Amino acid sequence: MFEARRLPAKLILQLIVTLMIVPYLFPLIVMVQGSLAGEGVGNYRAVFEVGAIGTFFKSSVIISASTILIVYVLTMLAAFGFSKLHIRRKEIYFWMILAALTLPEVVLLTPLFATTLALGVYDTYWAVVLPLAALQIPFTVLIARRFVDGVPDALFDAARIDGAGTFTAFRYIVLPMTRPIAAAIVVLTLIGSWNAYLLPLVLIQDPAQQTVTLLPQFFVSQFSNDQTKVLASAVITAIPEIVAYLCLQGLFERGLSAGAIK
Amino acid sequence: MPAFVLVVGILYYCIGETGYLSTLDWDGTSPTPTSVGLGNYEQILQDPIFWQAIWHTVIFFIVTFTAQTAIGFVFAALLHSKVKLGTLYKVIVFTPVVIAPATMAPVFRQMFAADGQLNWTLDHIGLGFLSQPWLAQSSTAMPVIMFITVWNFTGLTFVLYYAAMGQIDPETLEAARTDGASNIRTLVSIVWPGVRGTTVALGMLSVIGALKTFDVPYLVTIGGPNYATEFLGTYIYRISIPSAHVGYGAALSIMLLILALVGAIAVAVRANRKDSETGV
Repeated sequence: MFEARRLPAKLILQLIVTLMIVPYLFPLIVMVQGSLAGEGVGNYRAVFEVGAIGTFFKSSVIISASTILIVYVLTMLAAFGFSKLHIRRKEIYFWMILAALTLPEVVLLTPLFATTLALGVYDTYWAVVLPLAALQIPFTVLIARRFVDGVPDALFDAARIDGAGTFTAFRYIVLPMTRPIAAAIVVLTLIGSWNAYLLPLVLIQDPAQQTVTLLPQFFVSQFSNDQTKVLASAVITAIPEIVAYLCLQGLFERGLSAGAIK
Repeated sequence: MPAFVLVVGILYYCIGETGYLSTLDWDGTSPTPTSVGLGNYEQILQDPIFWQAIWHTVIFFIVTFTAQTAIGFVFAALLHSKVKLGTLYKVIVFTPVVIAPATMAPVFRQMFAADGQLNWTLDHIGLGFLSQPWLAQSSTAMPVIMFITVWNFTGLTFVLYYAAMGQIDPETLEAARTDGASNIRTLVSIVWPGVRGTTVALGMLSVIGALKTFDVPYLVTIGGPNYATEFLGTYIYRISIPSAHVGYGAALSIMLLILALVGAIAVAVRANRKDSETGV
């Protein structure tokens, strides 16, 4: 956007970018440097020796994977239904789902707490997976429906003439044609469910089922405020996320943008 | 319509239950809650912490939205200008988006502590007079929360603006330059209006985001010191779970819900009106 033909101008631009990036880099440096203070790599060894990291990661993987699966299947069915099927008053239903976009999760805490206790699913993965999926779906339905709207009706008419039922049409037309938006849905849901903090905090008590977002607090009590080890655990938690992002850079950026552009 | 059943089932059921709870004076476990009708709502309107939390949310929204938009926009413009190592800068700005705020919270508590890295750095670059216990005083705790939020989300605004700028017709830019427009002038008169759709979408996200704020203030400052960083989210949590005033918390939740809906509708309506005025 800026045009800099001469060398000094180029240098100034470069300098501005570098200065602007410093505040973004600083916390990351603090994190790594703090985790190596004191006993150095020994901090990491101490964290691993507690042995809890594996179970926390396993819980996060299970919760994220189930949430993604539920969100994906339900979003696709809903997008197809809203976009192509004739359902009475479907626009009203669609707006009811969209209104849920503004819903802050903290509002749901008490009723969820009471409901999960009553149903006996408190302290299980379900207690977190279902609300997470429900909070994610309004967003994903919105973007997926717009995408399915773009699939020409003629394709469905042709399929029907060839004798395909609604479900066959869904299976062989909608699913293959929505792959680009499916990637966005997966990334959005992954970030949403992996980073979820409040719901696991309230709805899961058993340490064997808690997620990685609760890990720093677990270590605060474990190491009685030994900051270096808490930071080491933060680094260990952040690394998989950063690696996933670096490997799928384009996918992450596209996925998140698809969520925000209407 | 299984999706519909799940969303409407869980979410609307919860709202309904919250609405019912909000009329009770209940501690969450006692078998005989007393109904107080609208008493909880009357109490809210006279609750100074509630108004403080609203006020914090408004300021928080204005500051973080402005900062994120401005920084994200300038970054996007700069990185569209053939600077060296563009990908590296991009990765650094975007990385905070994927890290959970809960994971970064201990890092920020450490960084802004009285003997933390920020003060250490300030001391060593000759700005020692600026160093202070950032999180322990009411006057600086809020700016720290805002900084963390901006740090967290600029990556997103940046990526969106970056994509939007890629769609601006290069010939328009070329024409402006030929007519002698300066860099700044082009940026203000052509690029900024060209990405207006993105700005509106981000505005909407920020309003909802500001009302939903919970993770960062809860984990970094626990709403303190002296309620200086209390938001509706943290207040509801504190009232409902540790203090077990379930009825009052539910009433606060309903207020938050109404505010969120009104906020989102207000932004949407304003955006629409502006669209029809300018004929976009």
